[in-house]
Amino acid sequence: MDELDILKKDWKKQDANFPKLSYNEIYKIIHKKSSSIVKWIFIICIAEFLFWGFINLLIPESFFTIYEKLHLKAFLKITYILHYAIVVVFIYLFYKNYNSICVVDSTSLLMKKIIKTRKTVNYYVYYNIIMTIILSIIVNIIMFSDPALLNEVMNPKHVPIDETKFFYIVLTVHIVGLLIMSGLLWLYYKLVYGILLRKLNKNYKELETLDI
Amino acid sequence: MNKELEHKFISEFQENQNIIHKVCRIYTNNQEAHNDLFQEITIQLWKAYPKFRGDSKLSTWMYRIGLNTAITLYRKSKRTIQTQDFDTVLHKIKSTDYDNTEEEQLKLMYKAIHQLSDIDKALIFLYLEDKNYKEISETIGISEVNARVKMNRIKTRLRTILNP
Repeated sequence: MDELDILKKDWKKQDANFPKLSYNEIYKIIHKKSSSIVKWIFIICIAEFLFWGFINLLIPESFFTIYEKLHLKAFLKITYILHYAIVVVFIYLFYKNYNSICVVDSTSLLMKKIIKTRKTVNYYVYYNIIMTIILSIIVNIIMFSDPALLNEVMNPKHVPIDETKFFYIVLTVHIVGLLIMSGLLWLYYKLVYGILLRKLNKNYKELETLDI
Repeated sequence: MNKELEHKFISEFQENQNIIHKVCRIYTNNQEAHNDLFQEITIQLWKAYPKFRGDSKLSTWMYRIGLNTAITLYRKSKRTIQTQDFDTVLHKIKSTDYDNTEEEQLKLMYKAIHQLSDIDKALIFLYLEDKNYKEISETIGISEVNARVKMNRIKTRLRTILNP
């Protein structure tokens, strides 16, 4: 007899060996909390939406006076309206994708939907980062194209300072800030993906290579 | 969720709970891990139950949610990670312990199954449950041809583990 037939035969016999859970035991189980990755992804995604939302609120008032001095107030207003419109679109897409996750779907479709939901939030984070960088580039270009204005904004007390040196200091601060921000993000994603999504990504890749 | 639905679910689940025990048998290798996964699958089944319309068989519905939970939704607790180490230790002494009795063969077979990938485990599980390729391909979400090819590979792999 083939080894797999032996296995199949044994597989069918084992039914009797399993514990029979009573009505009460099952009742207790269904009142426990799930710890599925979908639930965790949902929590983390909501936290990311809130985090990037709050970061905008944390910008100090004084920062906006800079924009005023740079005559960028109207520009800032338009960007804000646009920004919140985009955020609403992102939240809608996230909600739509999250809602489509269905545990009765085929394994590959279920994975696809989970990954898609997660990606929506990734794009949201990318969007926030890119927007921050673009805005800071625009503001910097405007500032540096007008040295008098730059001095006025960055050095209101008119401390005597070498202009080239000043330029390099501002530039260095910007680059270092950007590097620290990217480092933190990289670490964060390494953790989120490492802990939560490694298994899912691995299995999904296996299914993908299987179905080429 | 209302009491009537809860009662109906528990009664139906009680009748069919072996399906879930079998999923746990493939995906875990000790009692604690088995109970942990069993619990998560049961919760997922209950959460999905209000949407269960009965247009498919209850057992088919349970297979899908059971496998999806084991492969995708379930997060292994620390306990199960420890048992994986235990499994590899057993694997190392396998060749010296080899004995050709049926019981030994079965032991080795289950050990070999525990070393398969999550997807391969699902395929072998559905094979053991006598599901046809159409159902297997629909459950996993791959084409029937690929399910066949993959299954043959797994079978060959299991056979070579037993007959090195």
